[in-house]
Amino acid sequence: MGTILTRYGDGTPVEMSADDIRRDLEEGTADAADRGNIPALDKAELDHLLDIFSSPHRFVGVEPGREVVLTYDGSPIKMLRAQVNVDRLQCLQIYEKLLGADTLEMGHMDYSFKPIKPIVTYEQPLLEQVLSVTTAPVFYGAMPNLGLYSQPDGPFPNPSELIPRGEIEAALESYEAAVEDAVNDIVYVSSAMYESGADAIILDTVGAAGDADFLAGLKATEILREKYPGICIELGMAGEFVLGMHGEMEWEGARLAGMYPHEQVKLAEKAGVTVFGPVCNTNTSESTPWNMARAITFMKACCEAATIPVHVNMGMGVGGMTVNDHPPLDVASRASKAMVEICRLDGL
Amino acid sequence: MVDEQTIKEAIKAIVDHDEAKAIEITKKFIEAGNNSLEIMTEGFIPGIGEVGDQFGRGLLFLPGLVQSADVMKKVTALVNEALPEKQLEKPGVVVIGTVKGDIHDIGKGIVVALLRANGLVVHDIGRDVDTEKFIEEAVKVEADVIGTSTLLTTTMGHQKDLEKELKKAGLRDKFKTIVGGAPVTGRWAAKIGADAYAEDAQDSVVKIKELIG
Repeated sequence: MGTILTRYGDGTPVEMSADDIRRDLEEGTADAADRGNIPALDKAELDHLLDIFSSPHRFVGVEPGREVVLTYDGSPIKMLRAQVNVDRLQCLQIYEKLLGADTLEMGHMDYSFKPIKPIVTYEQPLLEQVLSVTTAPVFYGAMPNLGLYSQPDGPFPNPSELIPRGEIEAALESYEAAVEDAVNDIVYVSSAMYESGADAIILDTVGAAGDADFLAGLKATEILREKYPGICIELGMAGEFVLGMHGEMEWEGARLAGMYPHEQVKLAEKAGVTVFGPVCNTNTSESTPWNMARAITFMKACCEAATIPVHVNMGMGVGGMTVNDHPPLDVASRASKAMVEICRLDGL
Repeated sequence: MVDEQTIKEAIKAIVDHDEAKAIEITKKFIEAGNNSLEIMTEGFIPGIGEVGDQFGRGLLFLPGLVQSADVMKKVTALVNEALPEKQLEKPGVVVIGTVKGDIHDIGKGIVVALLRANGLVVHDIGRDVDTEKFIEEAVKVEADVIGTSTLLTTTMGHQKDLEKELKKAGLRDKFKTIVGGAPVTGRWAAKIGADAYAEDAQDSVVKIKELIG
């Protein structure tokens, strides 16, 4: 066999031999297994991944009948990022009618709950219009984004400045105060949009600012679940492990920092999450085979631990895909096929 | 020569950010007539390396990392006091910031903490920093290295701007440059002419120490 064309994690094309791909697949799964203390992929699974990479076709897919649900987060943002000149309503129609999206997410360009709070009454009528011209379930989503609660963007002292200065106590207090404000904002916006007809709420990129961010997501979910027993809540993560920016934050007796997807999903279930969106970040210096094997190892363990539907995050820099605004088809299709065929997942 | 047990205890004292134990080990080692640099290179530096590694794996968290850094700073002072003048090394000086148009600073904060933990003098000039400001600050503090961070594909071009502006000002040879951030790679660093690329906080320590020599 000659060389196989694949890519590095930043999208740069690279030709590799089958032996090199096999070695990267083994190293990628070993890295995930070691970090997450989870099983590595077995020989049959690695053989299957090698087969997927070896396909001479630019685009690969699953067999009929093995398709999974495609949920989308931040869809309008992605279209605006590509500078396609459509408004949000048209964007969601395009996703539904042209791109085959099974669910739609009406996110605001300022994709965080805090800035949406003062303009939520402008979001509600647009949601009503979207609901009247689409059929697929319409989700409303945003990020907890705890970074917006510290100075200069928010009221609390900035832990990223305090911690390097050694002002640990002040930093921890700042995180704790930010959680409470963030929970209030998430519950306020989510309640307003749910009561206006949103079919579901997405808390997206949870944990981006560390364990406090994850705690805010869990607490808000718990409150929303109690307030609206029938609500659908999708919780999507930011990375494969919860960064310990605070380090001691707990929810229901479990320390959040350092949790990997198979542990995160158990807390998400307990909080009342309906659909969990785990993440594995792409290493831009490693090859796609390395990244994909690593991502699938984490996601497989998460799917096996879950009792709720799991929709793995696939896209720019996550799920084994390259860090490109619009990941190349060869990578996107291979990662999606591999994820569906190896993990017991419910959607992408 | 540092015995195995002392090395183990020194590493543990740093990982556990046990200041009293670290100071006790250092004093005992120096009072026994040993070269203080040996306990630093064989015990405490591997200890702070272990801290960085555990942080990267989600086993140790930022406040712990900073407390380990504090302990490291204290033992470094003791080691330096015991060294003859000619063996004292000038610590490397780093200017670091997030480039213009990018307000993400969580990752940079971690890098700053770990660099300081490793004895480097770090001037953190914040986020959304103009290219000119990086150069001004580097000249002002006589930096060895300028580090730029970016999380966005739309702002990584400012890392290239820094290379151009340094050349334009005739200062390119005066400073080493290192780039980092989620979309950044070694290939990007080579393409724009940066001296190094760091994959994560721990790698930034290794690369900057290599750059300083």
